[in-house]
Amino acid sequence: CQRALDVAPNAVIDGDALNTPENIEKLCTAAYAAIGNDHYTAPFTLWPYGNLRSGDAYKGGAGTADISAFHFYETFSYIRPDLSESDVIWYRLYVSISRANDALRRLNAMSEEAFPNKKVRQAEMRFLRGHSYFDLKILFKNIPYIDESVPTQEYGKISNVDLSNEESWNKIADDFRFGTENLPVAQPEKGRADQIAAKAYLAKVLLYQAYQQDVNHNVTGINQAKLTEVVTLTDAVITSGRYGLFDDFSKNFLYEYDNGTESIFAIQRSKNDGTPKGRLDWSSALSYPMNTEYGCCGFHQPSQNLVNAFKTDSQGLPLFDTFNQKDVKELSDFQQNTFDPRLDHTVAIPGHPYKYKPDFIYQASWARAPDIYGSYASMKETVAYDSPGFQKVPPFMGSAKNNILLRYADVLLWKAEALIELGRENEALPLINQIRQRAKRSTALLKDKTGKDISSYKLETYQPGVNCTWNRTFARQALRWERRLEFAMEGNRFFDLVRWGIAAEYLNAYFTQEKTKREYLKEARFTKNRDEYLPIPLNQINYTANLYQQNPGW
Amino acid sequence: QDKIPVSGKITSKTDAQPIPGVTVLEKGTTNGTTTNEKGEYTLRVSPGATLLFSFIGMVSQEAALGNSSVLDMILEEDLKKLDEVVVTGYKAERKADLTGAVSVVKLSDIKDIPTADPIKNLQGRVAGMQVTTSGSPGATASVRIRGQGTLNNNDPLYVIDGIPTKEGLQSINQNDIESIQVLKDASAASIYGSRAGNGVIIVTTKRAKAGFSRIDFSSFWSFQRYQSKLRVLNTEQRARVYWQAAVNDGVTPSSPLYQFNSHLDAQGKPVLDGVSYPEFIDAAQTMRPANTRWFDEISQTGLMQSYNLNFSNGGEKGTMLFSLNYLDHDGIIKETNLNRLTLRLNSDYNFLQGKLKVGENLTFAKTRQTLLPEGEIMNMALIQQSIVPVRTLTGGWGGPVASMSDRQNPVRLIADNQQNKSYAGRIFGNVYADLEILPKLQLRTSIGVDYTLGSQRVLYKAYTSGFLSDPMNRATNTENFYGNWIWQNTLTYSLERNKHRLDFLAGTERIRYNNQSFWASRQGFALQTPEYMYLDAGSANKDNGGSAFGYGLMSFFGKVNYALADRYLASVTVRRDGSSRFGSDQRYGTFPAFSLGWRLSEENFLKDHVTAISDLKLRFGWGVTGNQDFANNAIYRLYESNYGIDPTWDFDIGTAYDITGANTGSLPSGYRLIQQGNDKLKWESTTQTNYGIDFSLFEYKLTGSVDYFVKKTKDILVSPPYLGVVGEGGNQWVNGASMENSGIELQLGYQGKIANKVNFNLSGNISSYQNKVTYLPREVVNSYGGNGRDVTILGRSINSIYGYVADGIFQTQEQVDSYATQIGKEVGRIRYKDLNGDGVVDDRDRTWIGNSNPKFMYGLNADFSFKGIDVVLFFQGLQRADVYNDNKLLTDFASLASGVNWGERTLDAWSPTNPTSTIPALTLTDKNNEQRRSSYFVEQGSYLKLRNVQVGYTIPATLLKRYRMQQARLYVQAQNVLTLRKKTGNSAYTGVDPETPNATYPIPAVYTLGLNLSF
Repeated sequence: CQRALDVAPNAVIDGDALNTPENIEKLCTAAYAAIGNDHYTAPFTLWPYGNLRSGDAYKGGAGTADISAFHFYETFSYIRPDLSESDVIWYRLYVSISRANDALRRLNAMSEEAFPNKKVRQAEMRFLRGHSYFDLKILFKNIPYIDESVPTQEYGKISNVDLSNEESWNKIADDFRFGTENLPVAQPEKGRADQIAAKAYLAKVLLYQAYQQDVNHNVTGINQAKLTEVVTLTDAVITSGRYGLFDDFSKNFLYEYDNGTESIFAIQRSKNDGTPKGRLDWSSALSYPMNTEYGCCGFHQPSQNLVNAFKTDSQGLPLFDTFNQKDVKELSDFQQNTFDPRLDHTVAIPGHPYKYKPDFIYQASWARAPDIYGSYASMKETVAYDSPGFQKVPPFMGSAKNNILLRYADVLLWKAEALIELGRENEALPLINQIRQRAKRSTALLKDKTGKDISSYKLETYQPGVNCTWNRTFARQALRWERRLEFAMEGNRFFDLVRWGIAAEYLNAYFTQEKTKREYLKEARFTKNRDEYLPIPLNQINYTANLYQQNPGW
Repeated sequence: QDKIPVSGKITSKTDAQPIPGVTVLEKGTTNGTTTNEKGEYTLRVSPGATLLFSFIGMVSQEAALGNSSVLDMILEEDLKKLDEVVVTGYKAERKADLTGAVSVVKLSDIKDIPTADPIKNLQGRVAGMQVTTSGSPGATASVRIRGQGTLNNNDPLYVIDGIPTKEGLQSINQNDIESIQVLKDASAASIYGSRAGNGVIIVTTKRAKAGFSRIDFSSFWSFQRYQSKLRVLNTEQRARVYWQAAVNDGVTPSSPLYQFNSHLDAQGKPVLDGVSYPEFIDAAQTMRPANTRWFDEISQTGLMQSYNLNFSNGGEKGTMLFSLNYLDHDGIIKETNLNRLTLRLNSDYNFLQGKLKVGENLTFAKTRQTLLPEGEIMNMALIQQSIVPVRTLTGGWGGPVASMSDRQNPVRLIADNQQNKSYAGRIFGNVYADLEILPKLQLRTSIGVDYTLGSQRVLYKAYTSGFLSDPMNRATNTENFYGNWIWQNTLTYSLERNKHRLDFLAGTERIRYNNQSFWASRQGFALQTPEYMYLDAGSANKDNGGSAFGYGLMSFFGKVNYALADRYLASVTVRRDGSSRFGSDQRYGTFPAFSLGWRLSEENFLKDHVTAISDLKLRFGWGVTGNQDFANNAIYRLYESNYGIDPTWDFDIGTAYDITGANTGSLPSGYRLIQQGNDKLKWESTTQTNYGIDFSLFEYKLTGSVDYFVKKTKDILVSPPYLGVVGEGGNQWVNGASMENSGIELQLGYQGKIANKVNFNLSGNISSYQNKVTYLPREVVNSYGGNGRDVTILGRSINSIYGYVADGIFQTQEQVDSYATQIGKEVGRIRYKDLNGDGVVDDRDRTWIGNSNPKFMYGLNADFSFKGIDVVLFFQGLQRADVYNDNKLLTDFASLASGVNWGERTLDAWSPTNPTSTIPALTLTDKNNEQRRSSYFVEQGSYLKLRNVQVGYTIPATLLKRYRMQQARLYVQAQNVLTLRKKTGNSAYTGVDPETPNATYPIPAVYTLGLNLSF
């Protein structure tokens, strides 16, 4: 009779059965999968958090109510601790962390005899964990830090303020530091993190950490030791010879060049891979225009301010102070002014070819709600409709193009930034110029049907004494400008502004000007000492019965 | 003494119809016979004999023969119904001996009401039982007996001819049903212990009656119509609403769909003079602006038809019943259809001089149902803009254009899915053997089966519909096989000594359920016809999947009934159940019950002195029932390999990753944790106490019963939400919650006569219950409302609604300025109460704003018969149930969903010139967070419906004779033709039908013509 009640579960496996080298390998694979298990409602490219809040991008879509939480992120005025979108990104990042911790727990218990790759996989798992904690850190700042040593039943006892800001940065840095010591310089499989990626990510963490914040997010100082380490680490990446700049900027945004020389670490996307719809780039699913080749959903539109920022002066340098005095809007404006070529890599402009296709001209009618959000579209994250990487996933659009998380150009500019803040701005100059040089020559694909440049391009490197005075202040301004244009719409901008401690001044100035062009921005206002970070999701505070502390100002 | 022949005819006093099957016995002998189908008998008896006439449900009569050789008899209905037999647990009992809370459904009230699922006809018929349903063909009903008792499956257990199932009655042919009993309390239900926590519905199907053969034919045709449609904006109205919303926001109204012609009035206020539209709304110039009424485009007059044939033949050695039913139901949404063929064979055969009886009750049902996304179609008809045409000028599909939401054309959804169908074959029933070992000692063994083989083929067609398009087509086949076998053995013994009657029952039951399914799909079909799109013809993306699960149950039970002098009744039950779903030490649960009855009316002090009381019985019952209806594998900590899902509408949870950077091809894949284990899980148990009174007054004219119950469920199995940092697979089942239901039920019936000609029956029931959660573990306490700190749902109904209190509309800037901090407050916006008075409206200002449990519910049936004419009226309703009307998000706001159509109610939005409106001012952005859960959406769900009006005519037997017919009856019916609900005031229901709020398939008005013939 007892046997009558023995019914074994089907098609599932007991956790203990997974403690074999083969299965632990597979758990490591699953941990990688997690960093690509995002969704357009909580994209791991961070565009709603990093771009919409930065003055570079409008939310777009059918109207302000279309994913209204993103509208609130953009305008800051109506963000609430109970916005479910904040809770969702929080949870999804911890899902990624839980997979890495699970694999680590099992790896730690393995001997190196049984599992020769033990150290490497440990380092990869810590790299993935560090990556998700980094995103949590820049989104929420005060986060509970849980590693593989904590038993599940203890999770609820760990508060988000147990560690100081500094301490939690150290934890994140430690994970990457372990990678710099234990990962091979090169991995046989392109999707895996290697030692160079760990060094690059560690540099990024230390750079963020170097800008010390008080509890109210004011930047109170810049840690020189950390900056020095950033320089050392970025140097190691640069001198490794493993990675470099693409000859043409466009290759960072073309499916065909996935995992190319500039991509140090990327979320791997794929299609026709045996999964129902492919493991596509769901982060960017909403960014495509509303024409017949695509059809949805017109989100993530470049702001007029961003487009203006690509203007250059007669010497080919940025118009630091005057760029926003006059909008470039009409087709002729793009001939009558001069531009940084990165404009036409980044922004789809009515009348200009879309995605490097001279016979595929972006139309104003492809915008979804032009009366609210204007007619620009973002192009870096999309692929051409005839790209082998493109796939419709109705009503959305997908592609198998990777999302680059660590781009070599970023490493160059982190180094430049560290050098400038260390007072070694002269050493930063060639780095910035290296970026500009590459941008300057990246016009091969920016041609119309007749072979003419789409816009009028003029871009020059900084030449102290010739076209500029290269002092620390100027260098800092040049670096920040360079970051904006090089990485526009790539999800970083807001976090740069917060790191530099200028978010409030910058954004409120932006809103003052931009709301005269976009009426929906009229209530947008950045509240200093609050809006630098999202509120801790109310759900999580409630679950812990107030063990978690809300961020200041909320 | 020579026997002499005697013959005669037995007729019923009620309708003067002949009664077949009446036992005619010569008194004091075993000499007897039964009447034939014409109610006639012949018998040879001793001269001067006395004849006894008896028939179930009739008062037995005796008459001396005298000199005549003809003895006719008129039998009268036995109003006392003392011998009425009720099937309770594994055996039948006299109704008079019942001590538990059992409701017997009066089948004659419902047998002619057209339905594909007989349980739907029980709505409002049984006190304490709530039936909710939708109008979709093939939709099953939700049945709640005595409220919601658990946080898991609340469906009752069905026992059909002794075979338990949770599947409901949707594949049972209503014409086959002989009786339905509802066991409501634990003392009645606990014999079915393992799964009886939600009550038990016992269905017995018809068997042939010994002694006569008969053919019945019945049929009905029902026309179904939409009662009323949700009112949405037409093209021009939407333009005006959009314009006003933009103007209110202080932005310039502009849309690619509309050109606005406006001017400023003397006060500088914009005034809209007119709206014009572009020649085409799409860039490709294929769609001219339309004024489509989407609800009209998707709906039709539905037709349900049924044809039923029933053959029965009863002989000395056995009986046989065979029935055949064909039912086809076209719903009121185009192309929705249910088609069903049901066969039944019930027979039994006697061996060994009647000591061994072998038989079976088997039914086979084959159903076919169209697979339309009904909810989406209903929703799209509400929100697709009317400016979108159904078709383009070139014959393609109309669809959304720039500035609209990515929502489908509902007409296309119907057209492109109409070929998708599911098929199911279900075999249900048992074979049994019943052996009389000794007199009164019966052994019965039964093997039951309940298996369904399901198959569906879903074709997904490539389409272009506005900016929505998909170039890929796909075919997916899904097959599944599921069900259980069940083996039951019972031993019964009854003992009668002097005034003592004792019944014993002991038994075992074993059930094993399995479910196995797989699916396969391909893409890339050259043609998109249903004839072509079989998997072989697909050229790309072969994909497949499969899964299985199962459970086992093992039970032992016993029952003793005792009656002393028909006056004092007692019953004791014990059941021990094992389920595979629990931890190894917790698999078995013991479920005891007892009940007591006292038939006061048999006591001399009443019998002789109070003549008004015909029958009076007091009942008390107490018992424990169990529930194990939750996840199959909850005791285990489990991982799964998840190669990938379709992440279009949800987060990917896959474990495969393109680690080599190949961008395509087979991926390495891993495992993910899906749940935490819990080896301590044990049975959920419900302890119920029931107090009841049954009474009959005034010569059984007025009968009724009152029950009061308290039902406490503890160790409710819950899978609480968990802290975010736990990450994946943090869910864990625990024995957590406790809940309590208490309530009262009243059932009354009256039968009488008007002017000695018109017979009438009135029966009604009313019931009320209260539900409250009495315990929740800390992790769960937030999941059902409450602020997660000091306010919890404890002590309140599980169906309580928690949220903000909408306190009208801000009328003036002074009101806005002087009010508490409320992000987004403005003139014309909803003011939310600052309940804690701290000057800030935030999540601490939420409270309990409604309860979706009805305060009480009721049903009232009246039937009249006069000669051959019968008239039935049935009303059903419920009172004070709150409905959370989510449709209001769309019907009242232009800001909560942009790019879609809105309700006509937006035309009446608040404005300085319309200050009494309760609908907030139009805006395009929900800055005030008005979609928050608030009392704005809580509406009164009370209703009273005239469920059924029926007029029937039975053709007199004399007329039928020449057609060799025994009976013929014609009837017409109307259902759901009248609804009373709250239409005015603050909490008025603003949707279409409070019974089916939101995007549910509407319940239609039904007009039926039916026919019953017997040969």
